[in-house]
Amino acid sequence: MNEAIRFIVDVASLGSLYALMALGLVLVYGILRLVNFAYGELIMIAGYTLYLLSGSPLPWLVMAACAVVAALAASVLTERVAFRPVREKSLTAMLITSFAVSTLFQNAALLFISPRARLVPLPDLFSESIVIGGMLFFVRELLAIVVSISMLVLFTALLNRTVLGIALRAAADNFRMTRMLGVPANLVIGVAFAISGFLAGIVALFWLGRTASVMPGIGLEPLIVAFVATVLGGMQSLVGAVVGGYVLALMTVGINTFLPQALVDYRQAFTFSLVILILLFRPEGLVRGK
Amino acid sequence: MLELKDVHAQYGAIVALRGVSIHVAEGDLVGLLGANGAGKTTTLLTIAGVIKPSRGEITFRGVSLAGLPPEMIVRKGIAMVPEGREIFPTLTVQQNLRLGAFIRRNRVEYRHDLEEMGELFPILGERMHQSAGTLSGGEQQQLAIARALMSRPRLLILDEPSLGLAPRLVDQVFRLIARLRREGMTILLVEQNVIQTLRIVDRAYLISMGQVEMSGTPEELKRHVDMESVYLGATVAARGGGQGRGAP
Amino acid sequence: MSMSLRLLRDRIPGASTVLMLVVMLLLIAAVTEALGSTVLSRFAIRMFIDMTLVLGLQMFMGNSNILWFPHVGFMGIGAYASVIFSMSPLQKILSLPELYPFLADVNLPFLPALLAGALVAAAVAAVIGLPLMRLSDFPAVIAGFAMLIVIHAVLTHWEALTNGPQTLFGVERRTYVMNSAIWACVFVAVAYWFKESKSGLQLRASRDDLVSTSSIGVNIVAVRWFALVLSAFAAGIAGGLFAHFITSFSPKAFFLRETFIILAMLVIGGPATVTGAVLGTVIVTIVYQTLRWVENTLNIEQVFAQPIAGLTDITLAVMLIGMLILRPAGIFERREIGWQALRALWPWTGADAAPEPAADPQVVRKAAETKQRR
Repeated sequence: MNEAIRFIVDVASLGSLYALMALGLVLVYGILRLVNFAYGELIMIAGYTLYLLSGSPLPWLVMAACAVVAALAASVLTERVAFRPVREKSLTAMLITSFAVSTLFQNAALLFISPRARLVPLPDLFSESIVIGGMLFFVRELLAIVVSISMLVLFTALLNRTVLGIALRAAADNFRMTRMLGVPANLVIGVAFAISGFLAGIVALFWLGRTASVMPGIGLEPLIVAFVATVLGGMQSLVGAVVGGYVLALMTVGINTFLPQALVDYRQAFTFSLVILILLFRPEGLVRGK
Repeated sequence: MLELKDVHAQYGAIVALRGVSIHVAEGDLVGLLGANGAGKTTTLLTIAGVIKPSRGEITFRGVSLAGLPPEMIVRKGIAMVPEGREIFPTLTVQQNLRLGAFIRRNRVEYRHDLEEMGELFPILGERMHQSAGTLSGGEQQQLAIARALMSRPRLLILDEPSLGLAPRLVDQVFRLIARLRREGMTILLVEQNVIQTLRIVDRAYLISMGQVEMSGTPEELKRHVDMESVYLGATVAARGGGQGRGAP
Repeated sequence: MSMSLRLLRDRIPGASTVLMLVVMLLLIAAVTEALGSTVLSRFAIRMFIDMTLVLGLQMFMGNSNILWFPHVGFMGIGAYASVIFSMSPLQKILSLPELYPFLADVNLPFLPALLAGALVAAAVAAVIGLPLMRLSDFPAVIAGFAMLIVIHAVLTHWEALTNGPQTLFGVERRTYVMNSAIWACVFVAVAYWFKESKSGLQLRASRDDLVSTSSIGVNIVAVRWFALVLSAFAAGIAGGLFAHFITSFSPKAFFLRETFIILAMLVIGGPATVTGAVLGTVIVTIVYQTLRWVENTLNIEQVFAQPIAGLTDITLAVMLIGMLILRPAGIFERREIGWQALRALWPWTGADAAPEPAADPQVVRKAAETKQRR
């Protein structure tokens, strides 16, 4: 019983983060058909912002807010500087641009900070644990669940209740028609990148919280996670992305818990073979419908 | 009001405009007729700013529309009901209408117009909070028109509003268009349904191979062109056959 | 004009492109050999290897316009396979102690080992790539990305064949300036031949307008697949040459960084042409190696308190983004060099001798892509 609860909490905390990551990726993809390879670097940028602020007397929450804003700003800035000029040209040009932006950010961190891992400041709360019903839980894990789910609720409200949110959903469905109704393309895309960056920033706090450090290559794993979750969810649908995030977490925790170590080594190979199979046989994702 | 002068444009590798000139005067209901692939939709998309003309000039109320993106065209007062309706199926009816009014800031006016649409289209009024994808074809067409009207346009452009609808609904759509025109709306109507269209328009243009072949009042057009033989597809539509959508 | 005459006319400018590029490459190789500088010849070898790789990528990606990630994965397969074929049994006991017995005694000379390694890469591509060939756009890109990660994971964990994540050492040096240059020349010819062949034309037509090509009855899956196998073979050769040049390497050499570099080479030069692939490689190599040299010099002189890294890749990324914004079809866009291009530059022939490019297919492609998107 206890093990079952532990398993569920693990899946829920990991899955919440995965869901947010997938959401940030699919939001931009839905509108632009751009897979943003630089998405993982937003997490890296949030991490380095924390690192750079670590000597300051600011309270942690302020540092965290700065980190989230930095990720958001980087996301909006890359859209403005790199993606907007190639947007009308071709899909391939846009994809290569995002790959180049990813390389650019990584190497900037390499050049201006260090190739080695740097510690990021974390609140004490993150390393504490509490006992509920005789079971030990990490506060960080529970916090990840609470924060992620509040984000999802907030995000849903935004998409359903505000004009801008409705415009975003409409643009993801039919960009051209949305523009013909007077919704400026740059506005929708800008907002999508801003939300995407914001989500990456929030994710970063918990993602980095696991190792308490940041290094130039840290963005690859979250990027890969977001890719897989997105494909599982069908790439088009925001709900699908969230479901995909939780399904992937279930698979990951399941593999780590139940498979022998020798096979865990090949986890990535298995996961990605699955991705290819899904793309081939169920391109609309494991979960049908919007 | 709307003036196209010698417009050339390319859409994909297939449909091209080779010098289209069209004039729509204030308060007019003008028809744009032609077979599949003649360039009707290309003409509309060029007006809407989706396709950039390679040559020629488009002016609306004396102002050039050259180089304006789609989101600016609607701000000039041109609203579009595209072919295939293109409503947002995952949004509710009300959300669809809200986006139709995106360019307007006044909340009170919006509320008022929303109610008015509910009266003009009672079915939509009943289903405001239902997702638009659950509506029938005819209802979706009404929604697409209502959505366009929500921007309070000076010129309404309709692309094949009768396509794929049952004959009864086709009559309904044409009655609606005639009514909007009586209420003073300027309308550019693209249709394959030649017979019904010529019954309600003031003037019409006949497009073929990306050029205007002929224009004039319905009487003039009927006198000069053997409609039945030229537009076989149109006669099928008039009988209410749901033929598939062809090339744009 | 009779059929054969037209063929001749069509072939001669093509032959001139291949000839010019081959002469240029051999000239570079000869000058490098004559100078006898170790540093310079290492640059040149690396450039010829990359060129082979980029030409392979051009055959698939350049003609189909699908952003293709697994290419360096096939390079990795070619590298490990060729080493398994070429390494002496004695060395294998040291370098690959867990190697399966039936492979432990294999000991081929370099050229057959290189070819066999490339065949393995091509065979793997043929099998695992086939189902992907019907995908387009985003699914194709993401499936390709997934495939690169799968290949990388397998190379990293299949210890018996690759020594796992550790460096595989003890490979004999077999790649020199001349043989790497010759391989680059071979693939210049192959890439040009493929581009102008019936399959290549069909593939390029599919790039410009997918729908209408399949509606005229071209089996696009088969054509793409053929291009993929050719391209993976080139990647395999490049991998074998790389392994026998660098002599010790790990799976990390065949991952995203190398992918980024060869993409930059192809895109900056112009993915649609063989000339673009070749000269893109030359240009990027020069920029890259110069910056590397600057970086190393700064580090050796200890200009900064800590050794710096990343300057080269930043510059390359900026170049790549700038190119995509300003000239998205690359330096050479759609024109190959050849007699005609040279004649246009020749000051005495006058403007009227300038070649008239045929109806610009790029316009059509742009239009088709715009249509798909919005």
